[in-house]
Order: sequence, then structure tokens, then C-alpha cells
Amino acid sequence: MNGPGSSAPLVRLEGVTKVFNGSGHSTTAVRDVSLEARRGEMVLLMGPSGSGKTTLLTLIAGLARPTSGRVSLFGRGIERFSTRELQAFRAERIGFIFQAFLLIEALTAAENVGIVLRFGRTRRSERAARAGALLGELGVGHLADRFPAGLSQGEKQRVAVARALANGAELLIADEPTGSLETRQAVGIIALLHEQARKRGAAVIVASHDLRLRDFADRIVTLRDGAIA
Amino acid sequence: MDMYAVRTLRSQPLRLALTVGGIALCIVLMLFLLAVYRGVADGSVEYIRQNRADLWVLQDNATNILRGSSLIRPEQILAISRAPGVRTAAPVLFLLSTIRRGDRVGTIFLTGFDPGAGLGGPPALAWGRGPRADDEIVLDRSFAMKFGFKAGEEVDLQGRRLKLVGISRGTNAFVIQYAFVTLRFARDLIGVPGLATCVMVNAEPGAEIGPIREEICDVLAGLQAYDQATFLANNVHEMRSGFLPLLYTVAAIGSVVLTAILSLLLSVNILERRKDFAILKTLGAPSGFLWGLVVKQAALIASVSCAAALALFFPLVRLIERVSPEVTAKSTPGQVAGVAAAVLLMSLASSLAAVRRLRRIYVLEAFS
Repeated sequence: MNGPGSSAPLVRLEGVTKVFNGSGHSTTAVRDVSLEARRGEMVLLMGPSGSGKTTLLTLIAGLARPTSGRVSLFGRGIERFSTRELQAFRAERIGFIFQAFLLIEALTAAENVGIVLRFGRTRRSERAARAGALLGELGVGHLADRFPAGLSQGEKQRVAVARALANGAELLIADEPTGSLETRQAVGIIALLHEQARKRGAAVIVASHDLRLRDFADRIVTLRDGAIA
Repeated sequence: MDMYAVRTLRSQPLRLALTVGGIALCIVLMLFLLAVYRGVADGSVEYIRQNRADLWVLQDNATNILRGSSLIRPEQILAISRAPGVRTAAPVLFLLSTIRRGDRVGTIFLTGFDPGAGLGGPPALAWGRGPRADDEIVLDRSFAMKFGFKAGEEVDLQGRRLKLVGISRGTNAFVIQYAFVTLRFARDLIGVPGLATCVMVNAEPGAEIGPIREEICDVLAGLQAYDQATFLANNVHEMRSGFLPLLYTVAAIGSVVLTAILSLLLSVNILERRKDFAILKTLGAPSGFLWGLVVKQAALIASVSCAAALALFFPLVRLIERVSPEVTAKSTPGQVAGVAAAVLLMSLASSLAAVRRLRRIYVLEAFS
């Protein structure tokens, strides 16, 4: 386990710009952004809606490629990754928490967690045990066989965190994880993420416009019109 | 995750039931056509298969008895019987004739044969015996059932009264059925004595067939002789050329409908669950995994549909045979296995068509 900022950056963005070209016009969603995130560190991307937070997250996760500038993950530029390598990279080293958690409704809590292990090539015999253990660690082990429709918001958030952590992720990416939550639940999930990231030596990058999260961030990056304010 | 495939299908039970029902009916259609084909194939040539002659002699250029005309004159029949090496020569006269029962009239393939020759009669009897006298007749079972003829009843054949003495099997060629009378009666019916359609020849024990055939074809002008295998093949070919185009056309339509129904369901399912697929892509699901989900759903629906089709097929065939006795359907395990394999291939094709939708689902949709 490493303390925050104690190692080389897991994520490094250098002068990254992302332009979306539409029919007859183009939109610059991210403009000349440079930032880093290290193990155990929680970086909070703040800014109003449309400021480019989500686009920046997708660039960090290798889900989109920059128009210019350089994105490095774990010391390697993503321009060197093939699409297949990026997919494997996400499956094995990156965990995601989506707005409203986006658990798959047709899968139980344990299956939602186990699916990530399957992508990470964990043996079938180990998946259920690891998913169960992780859910237990997050206090929802008794809900392993429940479908998302039968879970409270608080329970869903814990299952979502378990899914993000299941592959032993070194980088956790969360997009507006507290958007629809009451203060107690919002603080709960961020505290949980912060705690788990520290415990596992993972970097966490959270995109949010929720001011309640400021106290948990090691670093806050504020975006406005795609650029760091 | 295999459960994902099952649960998402089960989440729309009515849609799933309609899809399975539609596909099952397509499968039933294919199975039924194959079964009818097998029934027709057997019914059309069983007569030839069972009446084993060393040579079948017809008028030159006639290759079969199903769809061709052949007339052999009395002096030719006599010459055939006297050819070196010939032990028996049994003339048979085939006619298209009609049987009347009340207001109903049915066409039959009337076969006049010599009961004393031991060749040319019904291939198998379901009941009774073959005709021995000129006022006796044997009817095909399907024809007899369709017209409600019973044992010992009188049959009105072109105004002549004949006694029903037997019911034959393997004599239903779907579009027409065989009936058997004496050769003398058949000749009398057309008013031309001594005429035959073909002559079945059996050789003396130990005699070679080749020289007999040469003698008949070369010396006796205007005749052609076929060995049993060739003549059977000729008739099978003739039967197929009349039936297979229809079979292939309907089977192709059924296959296209099946593939379209399944492809539509899979595509709708993908579009309805596009958020799930976007999440799975973001989480790092390999393309093969997502394709696999769709293929599994297709295979699952195909399997359930096959089972439903089989449950429906056999009772349906029994019902159809009862309502329309001329329809003789014969199913074999090979046919069922072949259709099941074809349906699985079609389900694979459907899933490949549906899988294209996955390419238009973007990971960024998970963030919207």
C-alpha cells in the first residue's frame, strides 16, 4: 500500500484537447488540460454541467482518444494501445462507478460484481467467492442474490463500489456518483471510495459538481468551458 | 452471465412466446414438407421397389411410369417372352381412371397385372388379398379412407362394378393413388386387347442380364429395357423433379421468415438493453463476449422453438392424415436432426445480423 502521491503518476495528461466535429461545426469539449493522479490520491474534477468533466473522464479511461496532447496510463501513452489492449486494460486495471450506479438490472448483486472478474479472466470457480467476499467487505454480503430492483440506493452504491473494485483496479473513475443521493448517502459513497482507494493504493478520479465532496479530495481541479480554471 | 441471456429474454414473456411460436411454426412447416416428401418418395416408387424384376421393358424413350407414356404391342410382348434367357415376361398396363362414389369422383392410377405371373401387383397389403378375378379391385389405403370404402363393398370404376377385395399400402403418390385390377379387365376397359405399358422380365436362373437386355433393345425395335436399379433411379428422379422445387421454395421462404423473426427479436432486445451493452463495453467486455450473449440468446430461442415444434408436429401430422388421408407424412430421426441443425445455423445467421447493432452502441452512452 502506498500513501497519496508517493509514487509515479498512474494518470498523466499533458496539454490534452478534445474536439468533437459535428455537421458543419466543431465543439471543443476539453481544452489544453494537464493533470496527474497518483496512487492513493483522490482527484476531484469540479465544474458546472457542460464544463467537460465527463469528456475528461473518458479520455483518462482511454474510452476516447485526444484530438491533441498526450494521455498516459500507468506510464504508457494510450496512443500505443490498440482498441483490444485498451479494452483489456479497462477490464483488468480500471474500475468505474457511473451516475446512478448503473447496475445491470438482469443480474444479481453478486453477478454484477462477478461480471467484471469474468472480463478480467478470473477463473469461474473463483468469481463467485471473490464477489461474495467483496460484497461482504462492503457490508452487503447478505444481498448477493438480490437484483438491483430490490436494493435501496445505499445498497446499490455499495454494490457499485464492489463492482469497481472487483478486478483489483488501480484506477477508479467515478462520474457524478452522488448526483441523485441525499447528503448522508453522498458522503457515504465518497468516504467509502476514499477509504478503499487508500487501502488498496488506487487512484480515484471523481467528476462531480457536488460541493459536499470537497472535503474528501486530495486535489481539486475545476473546469470551465473545457479548460482548467 | 449466461443468466443475463435467459433473464432478458424472459423479461418480455409475451414477445418471447410470440417469437418462439412463429419460429416453431416455421420449423413445423419444414418438418412437414420433408415428411410429405418422404411419404411421396416412398409411395411413388414403392411399387417398383417391391416388384423386383430383372428388367423393366418400356417403349423406346419412355424412362419411367410416373410421368411418361409407353405402349407395347402384343407381338412385342410375345417376342420379349421368347427372347433367349427370359424365364417370365409379365405385362402390366397403367391407366388413369376414375372411381365414383355418390357425387364424388376420384382419379386413380389403375394398374392392370396378371395375377398368375407373380409380378406387377400391390407392393404390400394392409388388408385382404390381391385381385384374382376380373370383377375384383384393390384400392390404395389413403384413397379408400378418403372415399370411405370398406371391405367387400362395390366400387364404381367408369361405370363397371368391382368388388373391393384388398387395401394396399405404399401406393400413395400424394397427387394420385394406385389401384389394382386384372390385366384382362384393364385391357377391356380401354378396348384394345393385348396392349401393355411395360413388361417385367425375369431371367432364367444363371442367365446373364446383359445379353437379354441387348436382345430386347437391339433386335426388337422400339423398346428400351432397364435393370431394376436404373429404373428405380429414373422414377425417383422423375418424382423429385416434380416435388423438390416446391419443397425448396417453401423451405426457403420458411427459413427466411424464421431468420427474420429471430433477427428482429434479437435486434429489439439489443436496442432495449443498449445501456447494459454500453456499460459492459465500458467495463471492458471483449467484443466476443457481447457477440456471445446474442448468439446464446439466438441458440436458446432456436432450441426452445425446436422443442415446441416437435411437440406440435406429431399430433398435427396425425390430425392432417385423418382429415386428408391422401397426405402421407413419414418422419425420420435424420430429418428431425437435419432440420434442428439447419435451425441452429439460421439462428447463428440471425445473431450475426443482429450483432451489427452492437457496433453502434458507444461506451460514452454509459456516461450520459
